Amino acid sequence: MLVSSHLEKIDRFEAAMASLDPLEDFELWFWSAMVSGTNAVNAALHLARITPAEHAFPSQPGVYYVPDEKGHRPVLKELGDVLHVGRPPIKAPVSQDIQRMMHAMEKIEAFRDPCTRGDMQISAQIVQECQGAYSECMQLLRKQLEENQT
Amino acid sequence: MSPDQHREKALKIERSLAKLAPHLVEIRIEAAMLAGTHWLNAALHHLGANKPESDVMHTYMLTVNEFRRLSAADAALVAMLAEIEDLRPLHVRGDVPGGQDAADQACALLGRIRQMAENLAISANARLQ
Repeated sequence: MLVSSHLEKIDRFEAAMASLDPLEDFELWFWSAMVSGTNAVNAALHLARITPAEHAFPSQPGVYYVPDEKGHRPVLKELGDVLHVGRPPIKAPVSQDIQRMMHAMEKIEAFRDPCTRGDMQISAQIVQECQGAYSECMQLLRKQLEENQT
Repeated sequence: MSPDQHREKALKIERSLAKLAPHLVEIRIEAAMLAGTHWLNAALHHLGANKPESDVMHTYMLTVNEFRRLSAADAALVAMLAEIEDLRPLHVRGDVPGGQDAADQACALLGRIRQMAENLAISANARLQ
């Protein structure tokens, strides 16, 4: 996807997070942070010219929907937006900042299945850990956006 | 998870979904997917198709054999969840116009999934009494 579209999605996910209570609405608050953070990683990878900023949207690793005359169709494609950090893995070397973003997202992702699909007890500490990792990821994206403008 | 745990989780996600503005299309589609998956799992446990320790995560991650087996248990429920999941590449991970209509469609499908899953639960509980 294009960087501008990733940024628009981040805005909408952050608006959702602001409408939700992190503890009471944990599942959707968490899911918004996770997908928003993934958009940030994808935008950073585009800015670093590691993955292409284009109209191609992943449905699973290696399969992307691309525009055609009838709308969109799935095609096989190796490089593009990641669905989650590690899906698919980025084989090219990445900067330390992007590595830190990916590491922050891995911290968030660790809570995905236990907390949204399983019955792990949600706590203020889990919220705090996710919020901290999310803030770090976004701060690093802002840094890269600024660097890209200069 | 047990059917009751899935039901509780699905209803909790739906309560959160109700707090979201219509233009927040990505998370509304994701919410429909997450809650719909819990309803499908509750229904599959009630139908005896899956044990509580065996949950579906996404229909597209099932093997073809498993997809067919669960569709034999309840084809409509599996198909409706798959329909929500199919909205994700273009409207959650893509920027294709029509996101709000897609989110409305996902929420309508979720309502139908909930209704069918609740009906199955009522039938299953009646059989136990």
